This record gives sequence, C-alpha cells and structure tokens, in this order.
Amino acid sequence: MAGALAGWLTVGLLVAAVVIAVHHSRRWRAGAAAEVDLVAGLKALPKRYLVDVHDVVGRKPFNARFHALTAGGFLASLVLLVLAVVPWFRGPLLWGLAALALALMLAGALMVGWRRHVVKPTELSGGRFARLPVSLIAYAAGLLVVALDRVAGGALPHGVTLVLAGVGLFGGADLLVGVGRGPLKHALHGALYLVAHPRPGRFSGRDRGGERKRDSALAPLNLDDAKLGVEVPLDFAWNRLLGFEACVQCGRCESVCPAYAAGLPLNPKALIQDLVGAMEGGAADYAGHGHPGRSVAGARGPHLPVVGEGAAIHPNTLWACTTCRACVDACPMMIEHVDVIVDLRRFETLEKASAPGKAPGVLEELRIADNPGGFPAVRRIDWAFDLALPLAREREKFDVLLWLGDAAFDLRGQRSLRAFIRLLKKAGVDFAVLGEDELDCGDLARRLGDEATFQDLARRNIARLEGLSFRRIVTMDPHALHVIRNEYPAFGGAFEVVHHTALLLELVEGGRLTLGSLSGTLTYHDPCYLGRYNGVTEAPRRLLDMLGMERREMEFSGLASRCCGGGGGTSVTDVAGDRRIPDVRMEQARETGAACIAVACPNCTVMLEGVVGPRPEVKEIAELVLEATE
Amino acid sequence: MSAPHDALLRPLTIKGLTIRNRIMSTSHAPSYGKDGRPQERYQLYHEEKAKGGIGLTMFGGSSSVSPDSPAAPWNQISVADDGVIPHFRAFSERIHSHGAALMVQLTHMGRRTRWDTENWLATVSPSREREPASRSIPKEMEDTDIARVVADFAAAVRRCKEGGLDGCELSAAHGHLIDQFWSPATNKRTDEYGGSLENRMRFSVQALEAARAAVGDDYIIGIRMSGDELIDDGLSHEDCLTIARTLTERGLVDFVNLIGGQARDHIAHAISLPNMSFPVAPFLALASAIKREVGVPVFHAQRITDLATAARAVEEGHIDMVAMTRAHIADPHIVKKLMEGRADDIRQCVGAGYCIDRIYAGNDALCIQNAATGREAFMPHVIAKAEKARRVVVVGGGPAGLEAARVSAERGHHVVLFEKDTTPGGQVRIAAKATWREALTGITRWLFLQAEKKGVDIRLATEATADAISAETPDVVLIASGGTANRGSIPGAELAHTTWEVLTGAVEPAESILVYDGTGQHHAPSCAEVLAKKGALVEIATLDRMVGEEIGGTNQPIHLRELYKLGVILSPNLQLIEIYPEGNKRVAVLRNEYTLEEEERLVDQVVVEFGTLPVDWLYRDLRETSVNRGETDLDALLSGRPQPSVEGLNGAGGFALFRLGDAVAGRNIHAAIYDAARLCKDL
Repeated sequence: MAGALAGWLTVGLLVAAVVIAVHHSRRWRAGAAAEVDLVAGLKALPKRYLVDVHDVVGRKPFNARFHALTAGGFLASLVLLVLAVVPWFRGPLLWGLAALALALMLAGALMVGWRRHVVKPTELSGGRFARLPVSLIAYAAGLLVVALDRVAGGALPHGVTLVLAGVGLFGGADLLVGVGRGPLKHALHGALYLVAHPRPGRFSGRDRGGERKRDSALAPLNLDDAKLGVEVPLDFAWNRLLGFEACVQCGRCESVCPAYAAGLPLNPKALIQDLVGAMEGGAADYAGHGHPGRSVAGARGPHLPVVGEGAAIHPNTLWACTTCRACVDACPMMIEHVDVIVDLRRFETLEKASAPGKAPGVLEELRIADNPGGFPAVRRIDWAFDLALPLAREREKFDVLLWLGDAAFDLRGQRSLRAFIRLLKKAGVDFAVLGEDELDCGDLARRLGDEATFQDLARRNIARLEGLSFRRIVTMDPHALHVIRNEYPAFGGAFEVVHHTALLLELVEGGRLTLGSLSGTLTYHDPCYLGRYNGVTEAPRRLLDMLGMERREMEFSGLASRCCGGGGGTSVTDVAGDRRIPDVRMEQARETGAACIAVACPNCTVMLEGVVGPRPEVKEIAELVLEATE
Repeated sequence: MSAPHDALLRPLTIKGLTIRNRIMSTSHAPSYGKDGRPQERYQLYHEEKAKGGIGLTMFGGSSSVSPDSPAAPWNQISVADDGVIPHFRAFSERIHSHGAALMVQLTHMGRRTRWDTENWLATVSPSREREPASRSIPKEMEDTDIARVVADFAAAVRRCKEGGLDGCELSAAHGHLIDQFWSPATNKRTDEYGGSLENRMRFSVQALEAARAAVGDDYIIGIRMSGDELIDDGLSHEDCLTIARTLTERGLVDFVNLIGGQARDHIAHAISLPNMSFPVAPFLALASAIKREVGVPVFHAQRITDLATAARAVEEGHIDMVAMTRAHIADPHIVKKLMEGRADDIRQCVGAGYCIDRIYAGNDALCIQNAATGREAFMPHVIAKAEKARRVVVVGGGPAGLEAARVSAERGHHVVLFEKDTTPGGQVRIAAKATWREALTGITRWLFLQAEKKGVDIRLATEATADAISAETPDVVLIASGGTANRGSIPGAELAHTTWEVLTGAVEPAESILVYDGTGQHHAPSCAEVLAKKGALVEIATLDRMVGEEIGGTNQPIHLRELYKLGVILSPNLQLIEIYPEGNKRVAVLRNEYTLEEEERLVDQVVVEFGTLPVDWLYRDLRETSVNRGETDLDALLSGRPQPSVEGLNGAGGFALFRLGDAVAGRNIHAAIYDAARLCKDL
C-alpha cells in the first residue's frame, strides 16, 4: 500500500516538477536568439556530462563522490518508484533495487550534510541550500525504510510505513519542486545548458598534450547591430540565461576569484545570482556572500538595465574583473562568466561610453595612436637602437616574427625584451620585428568592451602581417599570443603563434642554446592568458627545470594559478579593494620561501614588481635563461 | 611628468650618426693623457661609461691643434700631428664595441695656457690682454698666425675623421682662442678680425669652413660655446644667440654644446663648473634659449647630477642631449642602472668638485666617492664575488667603514658593521653641517643604503669592543674608527675649541672669534662661515699664503666669496703660537711667517683646525691577538693580490686585522674610501 502510494505520489511530483520547469522556462526562453545545434548537443550530452563536468567536479573527490551517490541514487530511486506504479513490477526485486539506490543516496546525503553543517565551507550559499541535506536525508531514509519493509514483506505496521513514506515524499517534494528555485534547479538547467552550451568548442576533447582543449576566444560582435552589447537581461542569448539558471551556488568561482580574494567588489557567484535575480525581478533570493564592500543589488528586472549605480550590478563589480577565467575554469556547470562580463562591458563602453578610471583615455589613445600609452609609433623600437633589430618590412623572407607588444614602451618590458632578443641572436634565430608598423594587438580594447577599436586594430594588424613572408610569430606577451592565435582567425588572420618560453625550450632542446647551471630557489607564476586561456603550463616549467634551480609551487598554480591583477583592463579601470590583487599573489609566492618568482608575461612582471616590501625577486624567464647562458 | 627613461632612452640622429640615448659626457681633461695621446688609462676610463650604457662620450677637453697651444698642462692630448690617429682608431673601436659614440674636443687655447712648458712658445691671442687665470700675456696674432691656426684646425678635424671618431667639437667656451676672438673683452683688434661681431666671428668661420673643406659635409662638427659670458665687457646673451644662429644657419656646425658663463678668472671658473653650493642645472635656461634659435641639436652640461633633472631638461625640450659628465665620474653605469630598473643604485654626484679641483692642482682627476674612476685598469667598478665567503667585521660607519662593508658584502662575505653613533656617516656628518656643504651626506648615504641592501648586518648605536668582535668569530677585522679633532699642541691649546665643536653645535659661538686654519682645507673656512652667519665677528688666520690654499679652483672661490660677503677678516701668513686667558677672554698670539713679528688678538673664542688624530685604541687592543699584528702587506695591496695573512687563515680561528681611513692617519674622504675599496676588493 505504502509502496504503491509512494510510486503514484512520485509520479505526481515529477509531473508537478515538469509543470514548474516549463513555467519557469519562460524566463530564459525569452532571451535573445542563439544559433544552437540541439541535435548535436543532445548527442554530446552524456560525454559532456561524464567527461567535462566530472573533470571539474572531480577536482574535489569528496564532492564528486557524494554527488555521484546522491544524484545517482536519487535518479535511480525515482525511476524505480515510478515503476512501482505498475503492479507487475512491484516485488522484492524492485524494492531491493530501490533500497540499494536509496541506501547509496542516503550515504551521499549524509556526506552532503556533513559538508554543509560540519565542515561548512565558507563559499557555500545558505537559504534553501541549508535545508538540502534535510530533504535529501528525509527522502532517502524515509523511503529506504519503506523499501526495506517491502522487501521484508511488510514487517512494520502500516501506520509507520505510511508516515515514513510521507516523510520521504515530503523530502522528495522539496527536492523536485526545487527545479524552479531550489537546489535541484541546477540538475535540469545544467543538463539543458550542456545541450545548448554557447561554446560547444570547449567540449571538443583533448589536445595532444592531454590537456582539455580551450575555447577561450571572445566571439566577435557585429558592429552593425542595433544595440551593441548587453543592456538588459533579455539582451543575453537564451542559452546564456539558461546557463545562469544552472548555477548551483557551489562557490568554487568565489574561492578562486582574484578580485574577490583581494576584497574588490566582485564575487562571480553573486554576479551570476544577480543575473538570475534580474531575470526574475523583485527582491533578492540569494543567501551567499555578496560582492565585497557592496550592499545588495538595486532595481532589477528582465527589462531593466543590468549595470548601474542603482541597478542589479554595480559598475565597480563589472570593472573589477581581470578576465582571468579562473571562475570559468572552476565552474562545474560550465558557466562562462567572462563572456558575460565582456558582453556587459561592450554595452557600457560602446553605447554608454562609461568605462571608468583611466580606461576612456587609454581607449582614446588606442584609437588615435594605436597603442594605449599614446606613444609615437617609433617609440616601440627606438629604445632598441643599439640592438639593431632587423625590420620585417626590409626583409623578403624570414623565419620568426618577434611581436614586441605593449611592453616595448615600458622600461621593465624593454629589459625582458632585451634579454630575449639577445637569446634569439645567440641561438642564430632568423627573426625580424614589425617595429613602427606594429599596432597594439587589441587585447586591452577588447577586454574593456571596445570591440570597435579591437576589430579595427585586428584587421589592420592582419593586413600588415599578411603582407610579410615568415613562418611563425613569437611573443613574450601571452595577451598578444592569445589574441593573435585565437581571436584573429575570426577576422581572417591565421598565424602560428608561439610563446617565447616555448621557443626557448625548443632552442635549448635543439642544442642551439647551451645552459649553464644557476643556483637558488624559484617559483613560477602562470600567466592566465598562457595557462587557462591556452592550456600551456608545462613547457615553461620544463624550461625552468633546465636552469638547475629548485622549483617550488605556489598554493594556486598551473591551470588554477591566481591572477596578478594585470589582465582585463583592471590596471586602468583601477577599482579599489581591501588589498591589491598582486599583493595577494605575492603573499602566495612568499609562502613558498623561493628567492625568485619567475614570470612569463609583461603584465605580470609589472604587477608583481609593484608589490612593496620584502619579496622574492621578479624575473622574466628569458632573463633567467640569459643568465644561465652567460 | 613621465618616467626618466621616456625622455632619455631615445636615440638622437645627427647626420649619419644615431646616438642610442640622450645621455652623454662632455669633453674634459682628467689628466689621463700620456705623451700627449689618449692611451690605455684614458680609454679605459671612457670605456667604462660606454659599458655603462652612455650614448655619447666625448673626451679630450682642450685637445690642442697647434704647437703654441701645448698639450702638456693637465696631461692633455695633442691632435697637432698624425701620430694621434692610431690612438684615435683604437679608442673608437673600443668605445664602439659597446655601442656608444665617441667624439673629441679640439681647441687652441690662445692666451689661456702657459708658455713655460712643452715647446716654450709664446701664447697667442687676438690682443695683448693678460689672462687672470693663466696669468699669461699673449702675443697679438698676426695674419700668418691666423692662417696657420685655421689650417691647424682643419688638419685636426681631418685626424678625427681618419681616427674613426664619430665627430668632434671646436671649443669656443671657457675663454679659448675662438671665443677670445668673439669676446670684446679680449679682442681689441682694428682689422677685419676685430670690431663688429661679424668681424670678431671671422676667425671661427674661417676655421670651421676650413674644417668642413677638409672632411666634407657629412662629418659631424659641433661647437662648444657660452650662452652668456655673464660679465659686463664680455659676450652678451644676444651676442651668443647671434653667433649660434650664424654658425648653424651657414651649416658650419651640427650641434651646439652650450655652457653658461666663462672662466677667465677664479670666481668665473668656479661658477662655470658649479659645485654643490649651486642649484641643479643652473644654466639650463641659457641652453634652452639657444635651442629655440638654432636648428641643430643642443647639448648641455653643468651640474645635471640626477636623472629626474636630466629627463626634465630633455622632455621639456630645453636641450637634445643632456651631459652628465661629473655624474659619470661618480657612476659610469648610470644608463645601465636606469635600464635595469636599478636607478636607486646610482651613485649620484654630490658636486664636491674634487675631480676638477685635483686637475687644477696639477693632479689627475679622481672622484671623491668612487675609488675606481680613472683606475679602471686595476680597480673594478663592479665588484666580483670572492671564491670563499668569509666573516668580516667592520668597526666604524664613516666613509671607510661603509665602503669596506659594501665592497665586502659585494664580495659575498658575511659582514657585521659596528657604529657607535645612532646614525652612520662619520665625519662627513660634521662636515655637512657647514651651510652649502650639506650635499656631502650623499656620499655616505649611498654607501649606507648599498651596504644595507647587500645584506650587511649594520649595528648602529653599538660600540665595538674586543669581546663583541670576537663573538662574531671573524676572519677579517677592519678598523675604520676614524679620527677625532686635534686641538693642537701649542701652549694654551686646551683653551681652544675645535671646528668639530662649533659645527656639531657643542659650542655656541661667542661675539668675537679667531679661527685658526692649520690644514688649508675646507674645514676652517666652512666653520668661519657658519660662525659669521650666526652673527659672530670672525677673523680667520692661516700660516698659508691664502685661506683655503689646499682647496681647488671650483671651491676655494666660493668659500672666499662667502667669507668676504660675511665680513670675515682673512689673515694669511700668520702662525698661531700660543693662547692664554685674559679674564673671560682669550688672547691668541700670532706670528708672521715671514717677518716673525708677533701680534695678538683679544677674542671671546679661539677655534682651531689641526685635522684629526686617529681613534686607534681598539686597533691596538686587537693588534697582538690578530694573525698579522695589524700589518697590511703593501706589495699585495699595491699589486692587487689578496692579503697573505687572510689567505693563510685555515678556519681554525684567528683573524687578520687592518686599519683604514683616518684611523690610520687623518686624510680625506677619497683616501678613506680608496683605502677600503683597494683592500677589500681582493679579500
């Protein structure tokens, strides 16, 4: 009796859940049109879930285990309970299997409870999530006893089993009704989002090095669109809105965000929840950490501007993002926070011209002078007069084009470039530079939302590069590397680009550079645009390990490296926090006790060298390699 | 304002030459020439700057083009014959190998030299006016002389080109022959070379035209000239503007290297080589005015000692090349350090004028604070690590002790420095209390910061004792405990105050004071100036022929000017032989050096300067327990070898003991620093 009742009630709850979900879907379906191949997405779903999602979830094995137990047990139990509606199925076997599923789920639910109420990781949200373990345990425990009672042929009094079935189904109801607003919302929307993901490219497998392929290029904006960028929630494509709904508020993004760690007013989890709230309008229904130093969001609704002093998201939150992609990399729901940030910035910059701090000046210089500092073009190489750099325009054919980047205007950058150029000469590399013909790659403009200036720079750079005959581009600037390698193809520029650390490794391994041995200790700081954006974390380490120095790893390293604070235009928008982002990073370097922090990006060099007080010496890898060759 | 490198680390192209940055060193006469040629020492001195990243280094201040402008004074260079060309070639190759450009200055000194040297030829000039500085009375040039010297200039410029130099400048500053023609003060001629400015310029135009004819239009020829002679009967600013405009408009010069003032007498000389009493870049405005009038790059030197000032001068468009000449004597690696982000490590010129003052006393140029400058053959500017790290204890935080600590730390040794005062600096801190001498503290401040940066364990307010030293188990103990003021040994010496007591403020000045100068150095005039400024009636007596006789030509005139302005009575040729009390007052007995007649002064205070006596009690305490009984092996020291006593240490305890600076005998800052650097570089 209790068994059949449980079955029917489960069916009822599932129907209710579907009704709620369909009703709820009006919110995200109202988003802008998006080109999505649903069939391909559906086909790819199992693999996207089992490989890509679990790659991320599995970084915390305990969580992966309780999730597998809870979710697996729950889904299996639902299927079995629905089958219990059919009398023919009702038997010891069904109830035995159900008991097994529920027992597994109970184990998982207890783990969830342990985590939420004993371990209490600070990044977790409260609210509805706080009673999640209760619902899970109620459902699993209540129905487990019912199932066991069925297996045993009804050993318990009917009244008891009915009460237990009621407790179980009450828990089940809380869970299933939650597909609209509760914790279980992530399961349905997460699955749908995996099907309709705006970046199907990120699931396309692994490269030869075994790394997951990275799809980190920003999508071009059609500058002829009536509205540029995102103003109101419904300007987002529907599958982006679906992604926000998928957020499970696990807080992994929060705990890796460099801005959050430094007390800048940005918490990626709260950002996504701000958008969820904005889709719905009305008061906040979010019980996690907010954006440091900022009170709860202001007026919001699907048709109200997202960004503004009194709107869903404060401008300082938007401009505090370094675009380091740590949140994207950490998100088990595959949400693309950086795309969101840039979409919103595009509207702010292109339609409202409201980029803050030094950003407007820098963007103006980029438009007028083709570099953010507003320097005359000749200044990109005049510091290197004594190096007699071969000019690309004077060379018919050459092997390597050295992309100097914005660092060429900076004294510190020039020092690193000098070291690298000396190594190129030592190794007899046939290289040339664009010199005065090099324009800014456009990275800064693009991250600041100025897609127009970016596209202009990109097209002109591509035209200049295409007029030359060379094999590949090398650069010391991972931002330029990313933009030219990954973002120029959308504008017709296809170039082979290598980071200077890769080329140096090649030269050393090929015997063209001979290294002596250095002594001392170092730690390596991965640049975001080399590591997370391009998946390169091992090559620089291999090169460093050839120098004979002892290498120590920081708390956050490799793909999980912590940003220096120099990306995404944050150095010009200059949003204040409790601390400076590089100070936080330097503290992690200090903790290793290493005497030297090896860097591989001019932005990182500047940011980390700006840290005052006793600290490891900041050295560009090329500088270390040069030392080892001398 | 943008960072210094933005303005300074940019190339400058003049004709076919691109100079890698905007920092240069002007031609000067360090007295390193040998047999009238720039040989190894001279070349190494400039090579160090080229290694240090300088854009252009110019050598050979006042290199002579004619036999009646002798190269012998200040051991200068003669470009009057082809024998110089191979030296120029070697020099050019050496400098070019480091990416720097090299030029020379050519001149005929006219009356501004001596007749009683080298060729014993009469000095020549447009007219017969005696020059106060050189005291020479010249022969008035005849037309044949003019034609000869014009041809000599052309031949000399040709030698520069053949020697591979990137260019040259003709000196028409500091009262040389060309500007003797220009200046109405020295040109009283009535022929076509005198009278109107156009006539007075004729000689220079002929010389430059002849030079152009000899080397063609492509070769770089510049002119060093004043922007205003700053005297009533000399060249006015307008005259100088006209000259610069004329020479550049006619395409005769490719750059103008501009100074302010002239140098025909002592004070003019001191002003044209501004010491630490001047603000930085005092004549930049003159160069800036010239730059507005001419279409060629303008170079300018004169007390531009720091990068911020240098950058401002270029960034704001006052000048094109900034000459940091004395700044490079203090630190030849300025540009390199700027490029490497180590601008804080630059040893900044303090404007003591020690380098130039030595020249005018017939010595070689040495830097008061950098013992390696001019000694590149055996003193390194960059200290190499020692093979074996040792434990070094330094006693004393004055110039000798700090330099010893700095060099030892650079060598990689573990260094502890004891200084009994709460602040480092030693006697420099006392000297710096004298009005315009304040900048001297820059010397010890740099040493202290470097020692600290290199990890020296500096223990201030800690007096060293034998026990404290042995607790450090040192291999080497360096006693640089300095000296203490000497009250002298004349009868009544105990009634005298020392200059130290006055400068430190230990003794308040009374109404009337006799300062007695027994050393002829900066101390007594500095002290007299301080006392007079505090309102005392001051007389300064000395047994020398003039007050401050040991002080060189860029500093003594400033002392004298200040003393005269304050009404201090200067009484040379008197020796202090006794002091006795009379009531609350003192009677100082002075004896004329020449007549032996005695005279007395009834004053409130007598302040004496007799130099210092070594503070050596600790040295004596340690001497017998040291392995070398405090002896420095002079052979090893002078030949740049490690001290055998230190080499012989076997780690079984025992230490070698050395004394440095005034703890040996009272001398000066350079001696203290050289003592320390020379010994420690090989330890």
